[in-house]
Amino acid sequence: MTEAILFYALAALTVISAGLVVTVKNIFHAALYLALALFAVAALYVTLGAYFLAAIQVLVYIGAVVVLAIFVINLTRTVTGAAVSLTRRWIVPAALASALTASLIVVALLKSAMAGGGAAGNAFGPAPVAGPSEGAATLGRQLLGAYVLPFELVSVLLLSALIAAIAVIGKDREDEK
Amino acid sequence: MTITLTHYLVLGAILFCLGIYGAVTRKNAIGILMALELVFNAVNLSFVAAGRWQPRPDGVGQLFALFVIAAAAAESVLGLAIILAIYRRRVVVNADEMDLMKH
Repeated sequence: MTEAILFYALAALTVISAGLVVTVKNIFHAALYLALALFAVAALYVTLGAYFLAAIQVLVYIGAVVVLAIFVINLTRTVTGAAVSLTRRWIVPAALASALTASLIVVALLKSAMAGGGAAGNAFGPAPVAGPSEGAATLGRQLLGAYVLPFELVSVLLLSALIAAIAVIGKDREDEK
Repeated sequence: MTITLTHYLVLGAILFCLGIYGAVTRKNAIGILMALELVFNAVNLSFVAAGRWQPRPDGVGQLFALFVIAAAAAESVLGLAIILAIYRRRVVVNADEMDLMKH
């Protein structure tokens, strides 16, 4: 019962703040609502037993991505200020398309849920009992064991993103001189 | 009343479609990037929930989510760098005014 209340409260918080992220007029407020939505998702990770991932979510998303977005919003403030209208187009088609997509996924899920039944351990029953193999230690062992190649690829990706960002930003400064 | 995998997947679908809605309707390029972060989070939530409901949970869903987070961080760094570079040249942050490659 507690987990149901927790899930519904966190789900409502996530959906409401995500809705505010995409609809609110002030882009700075949108960034703050994004931080709230990401924090709610991190709390949902905790309800799923993914404690390490929740910490990473808070560190990387709220600590880095949202702060970076706020930096850029402030650096481009002359354009994003109140003078410029944030009028949006295609609201009705976009709302229609995303609502239809969401209902398609939900209907497909519910249909397969009814076919699957609700036994424990089943995909649409309660969660199976978590083994001892779900902590950060196992995650690290897998990262340096079976999944070492994607792990190294991700480090190369991050390095190249860093270099590319410096190249993109730094070039302008040379041109100005 | 138990919470099943379907609950998490439905929440992921709603979050995904909210993000798509934002990415389509936002004019501000930073707003589009933030809506894309919502999409990444919806996918991550589905990954973690699906991994948790495996017959023998071994954390592979969390591993996938970890890789998605790294890719999303790289994407957001590059996207914001490009927005900043365009802003420096043309004082523009609206996606439909970024038409340097159109002519």
